[in-house]
Amino acid sequence: MNATGPWRARWSPGVGGVVLGLALVPPLAVTWLALFWWPASDAWRSVWAHPSFFTALQHTLVSAVLATTLAWLSCAAWCRWIMLQRRVGRAHVGLPTILAMPHLAFAVGVALWLAPSGWLLRLVSPWATGFEWPPNWSTTQDPWGLSLTAVLWLKEAPFLCWVAAAHMQHHTHRQDWARAWVVAQTMGHSPARAFGVAVWPPLAQRLRWALLAVWAYGVSVVDVALVMGPTNPPTLSVLAWQWLHQGDPQQQAMGVAAAWVVAALALAPMAWWWCARAARLGTARVGAAVGAWTPSFFALRHGAWLYAAVWVALALGSVMGPWPFPDVWPASWSQAAWLGVFEAGDTLTDTVSLAVGAASLSVAFVVLWLECVPGGWQRHWQWLLWLPLVIPQVFWAMGLYGLALLAGAEGQWWAVCVAHGVMAVPYVWLVLGPAWQRVPGHHAAVLATLGRTAWAYRWHVKWPMLVPALCVAWAIGYAVGLAQYLPTLAVGAGRLSTVTTEAVSLSAGGQRAVGSAYALVQMFLPWLVFVLAGWVARARRIPGVVV
Amino acid sequence: MNQPGLWVQLDHLSGPQRTLLQHLTFGVEPGQCLTLIGPSGVGKSALLAAIAGTLDMLAADDTPPLHCQAQVWLNGRCISGLPCHQRQVGLVWQHPTLFAHLTVAQNLLLAVPSGAKAQRLRQVSLALERAGLAGFESRHPATLSGGQASRVALMRALLAKPEALLLDEPFAALDPALRGQLRAWVLEQAKTQSIPVLLVTHLAEDIADPQRVLELSNV
Repeated sequence: MNATGPWRARWSPGVGGVVLGLALVPPLAVTWLALFWWPASDAWRSVWAHPSFFTALQHTLVSAVLATTLAWLSCAAWCRWIMLQRRVGRAHVGLPTILAMPHLAFAVGVALWLAPSGWLLRLVSPWATGFEWPPNWSTTQDPWGLSLTAVLWLKEAPFLCWVAAAHMQHHTHRQDWARAWVVAQTMGHSPARAFGVAVWPPLAQRLRWALLAVWAYGVSVVDVALVMGPTNPPTLSVLAWQWLHQGDPQQQAMGVAAAWVVAALALAPMAWWWCARAARLGTARVGAAVGAWTPSFFALRHGAWLYAAVWVALALGSVMGPWPFPDVWPASWSQAAWLGVFEAGDTLTDTVSLAVGAASLSVAFVVLWLECVPGGWQRHWQWLLWLPLVIPQVFWAMGLYGLALLAGAEGQWWAVCVAHGVMAVPYVWLVLGPAWQRVPGHHAAVLATLGRTAWAYRWHVKWPMLVPALCVAWAIGYAVGLAQYLPTLAVGAGRLSTVTTEAVSLSAGGQRAVGSAYALVQMFLPWLVFVLAGWVARARRIPGVVV
Repeated sequence: MNQPGLWVQLDHLSGPQRTLLQHLTFGVEPGQCLTLIGPSGVGKSALLAAIAGTLDMLAADDTPPLHCQAQVWLNGRCISGLPCHQRQVGLVWQHPTLFAHLTVAQNLLLAVPSGAKAQRLRQVSLALERAGLAGFESRHPATLSGGQASRVALMRALLAKPEALLLDEPFAALDPALRGQLRAWVLEQAKTQSIPVLLVTHLAEDIADPQRVLELSNV
């Protein structure tokens, strides 16, 4: 018996229909407003004719293709590594800490290492390089988009690994894939190749939504591109955002047209998949090749140090005073940046309150979805929850702004909170969906035979078992809410600022110390919540229960 | 041990709590089938896993693996220290474990040693014909019945040209008529190809040769 099947029916279809309706509102609003603002042919012609358009498109494609491919290969290598090392059950250890690190803070930290005057060159100068002055190199905001690619790769690979680990740990796959891996080896395939032919293809199939999300993020990212991406011209999504921000209606129309191009790029792989499936193209051979790819296990084992280095860079960067090149350490330390951060009390309060609100809203919505929406509806409409990941941020920002305008709520705290919550839903669902499935089905049947109600089952059995997953999901919702940039700017109408918006403007403007301080706060706040959530989850974990 | 066939000299096979098996020596000659019987939990499947070199692969990684001290010879070659994929030992469980993302032919092709594609495909077609599954090449595992899936799994193990075949209750989920048919078929295949077979079963009718039965008991 399915634990949630017949009992869910007592809530639904009324409540289930309302929850499904709520899930439909944001994507419908985004689509309707995007179509409503469909640019006239003049705007399209202006976009094509604009001297920056094709270069911006090239920057976008190069960084997104490279970052997605590298993240995909890294994920394959990591999955094979945890399988070979018998670490599947412990695969999640350490990943949430990396995931909690916002993209933007990571980018600011990487910039401190990679910049021509950054630590990497200082450590080897002048004794190895001969440099007495920072070289005139474009190691960040380079015109090829390589530094942007590196940041996207290093931040998106752990996300793919996290989703893959959830699938590998899922009780229905774990034993099957372990057996398949063994069988392939008994046929003479090496462990690596056996993983490639027997485990990676079905696993990769289950990662397609996550991969699409990685691709869509790479294509449409704005905040990280402002800090690390090319500047003249920038990537297409940044260009679209800049046009949308102009007072001139013609330029705004160009912004909408460019946003449509970004959306088309983001959704292009989905069209390809459908065509490939229709044409019955085999993926097994590609899967075997990717799965059997042999990278250095050293890099996988010690990769976490890279993320630790970013923490160190931000911590030191935020207290640096004058820092002549090529000295490794600043001539003096300064607390001016931190004084500035603490003086901006409203920014900190808004940041935390918005993140708390977004996390609570997204967790409440996903729990309602999982409890109230009937199973068949869930299977059919599950893609709705993924949309904030696959539809470009610029579009979401436009759509949510449009909704806020309709509701007369632009610039209101609660509207920004809802916007952040919408963006956090897919991540929260990624944690709670599998956890809900892992609840043993027979518990519901046992309690029913004891004459207890569905509510008693939820309250005394199911939800207590899910407390660890709920804690982790809330922490992730908090981290995602805190990292939002475009929805804050668009729905907040410039009246609300958060550590994220401050970090972008300061870092893109070259204010290294204050930018680092804000980035460190942006990194520290989710980390603190993850530690607390992990502590509560461990305290509430029931021995022998894996949900 | 320079004799042909599979020879096992087990010192001990231990779990985290207790010793499952100890001081056990047996051999299976080519084309013969030795049946292992015994109560649940005695270590029959673990013994097969130790011979195949898969002992630590299937254990949940949060539980300590079983520990085995044994010498295994296969056709005069000591395989105890080799990784699973170099032992040339086929292993089939009750669950057929076909790769769901591949067709029947692709599942079988994985087991065929490298060579020209056309030749490998011919081998696969012949194997399917021998298994009574001609024309099933493009079917997916999900569309097969339990008996068909078991036959494909057995044929896949045989196509890999193993020097020994380990069967861990591969007929247990089948109905009695099909079970007898499949058992006879696989033993005939093993005999034809001179492969020693080690069969774990709970069912008395699965015993191929009453003279070749090894009953395991708790230590």
